[in-house]
Amino acid sequence: MINISKEEAGYILVDVNLTEANLSHSDQFKSELIALLNDKQRSIWLNMQQVSYVDSSFLGALVTGLKHAIALKRDVVLINLQKDIDDMLKLIRLDKVFKIFSTEEEAQQAIA
Amino acid sequence: MAVVSKQILLVDDNPLFLKLLARAFDKAGFNCHSANSGQEALTFLQTNVPDAILSDYEMPEMNGLEFRRSVLRNDRLKDIPFMFLTGFDDEKIRYSGLDLQAIDYVIKDTPVEVIIAKVNNLLHAVNKQRELSEMEIRQTVAALNIKAVPEKIPVINGLTIDFWHQDYQQIPGGDFIDFIEADDRYLFIVLGDIMGKKWKAWFFTFTYLSYIRAAVRFGVSDTDNSTASILQKINKVIYHDEGLRDILSSVSLIRVDRQSGQLSYAGAGDLPLLHYRHASQQLMQIDSSGLLLGLLSEGNYTEQNIALEPGDELFIFTDGLIDFAFADGKKSDYPAFAQKLQQHIANKQSFNELKHKLQQQSAQLVDDSSIIHIYKTT
Repeated sequence: MINISKEEAGYILVDVNLTEANLSHSDQFKSELIALLNDKQRSIWLNMQQVSYVDSSFLGALVTGLKHAIALKRDVVLINLQKDIDDMLKLIRLDKVFKIFSTEEEAQQAIA
Repeated sequence: MAVVSKQILLVDDNPLFLKLLARAFDKAGFNCHSANSGQEALTFLQTNVPDAILSDYEMPEMNGLEFRRSVLRNDRLKDIPFMFLTGFDDEKIRYSGLDLQAIDYVIKDTPVEVIIAKVNNLLHAVNKQRELSEMEIRQTVAALNIKAVPEKIPVINGLTIDFWHQDYQQIPGGDFIDFIEADDRYLFIVLGDIMGKKWKAWFFTFTYLSYIRAAVRFGVSDTDNSTASILQKINKVIYHDEGLRDILSSVSLIRVDRQSGQLSYAGAGDLPLLHYRHASQQLMQIDSSGLLLGLLSEGNYTEQNIALEPGDELFIFTDGLIDFAFADGKKSDYPAFAQKLQQHIANKQSFNELKHKLQQQSAQLVDDSSIIHIYKTT
């Protein structure tokens, strides 16, 4: 469901291999994200390029992962969001808590 | 007859047999996915949850039993009905398979029509069991008389209030509505949506509702009844509640002052409300600033007044109404919902007609859906 595509000193780049991210994936995604945060002790940059729909269960898993990251003084960064999902996150103000970037390079320039 | 559009995963290292089987299942109305090995099947299962799995036993590298064990180790997959296919009738294999909670066992020589009939029977039995379990919970819930939506709609001079609510797949979920008559003067209207679906989300609606009811009543008795400070109080409690650590919710909170007719609003991670202005015949978006309840200790809640003129309408709704299913997938589209609503009002159709329309389309909903309507009469 999630695959590490790159390990950098400050972050791990992870591909989310789902097109429709919903209730049936949310628990496993949450566990994998939290396990990764604990194991690597680094921020996780999620490449969301493939994801075209997220339901509220999956959004809940993302936000829970972010809360966990904040407690560890790390971050969950969203990259390559499709427009509908980006719009949705803005509507419910999640763009105020997630760092969102169009590309990994853009994120590197802003964060690194 | 096959169960239409049920998805089945077929796993076999013999490509010819797999092709024959897939063709027969396709013909019987199944949505079939074929995998040549246990490993390939596990890759498919990373992002898919089929209704049933039919797997060969004898396969190189990962055999059927190993594949079954991997499936059982995954909480998301372990309850998918599983059947073994084998090339010969070996009792030992049969027992090992059944020990691994495989529901059935089919010899490959069995005519394919019989294999399909077995899978159909299996799915039918599983569905029946699921329906019975859900019915049992539903009956228990009914007996306890606990509801996440109110039975009575408040009556207020100058305003007509109504709502529509539909659970996803008829199973109570995370949406909740409440009308809290805090005292003679103030009515609080609450629309919340616990992130998630079905029973798990539903269970937490009552914890949230209890906190919200308490905060509203404390707020009114303390004379600090601003919707923003009520949301902040609820947020603080929920944020520090260990039992709700992973449970977040959006809430739209509206206070109606019966004396002045004024509406005040604060939102927590909710969708923008839609205000139809009768004079300009335009639907305006009302954004709020607050974050989902339980997300951060400070939720940045702010209150704003909503001035309704006679003929104006206010719509407060949850995300189930902006999610649409298409042939090639699902999509969240707030502007599309706003446009439909604008069209509905332009056609001089009432909220009752909207409820009727939504009810007719409820089978296509992809999440719990709720909408509250406030209409200013005089």
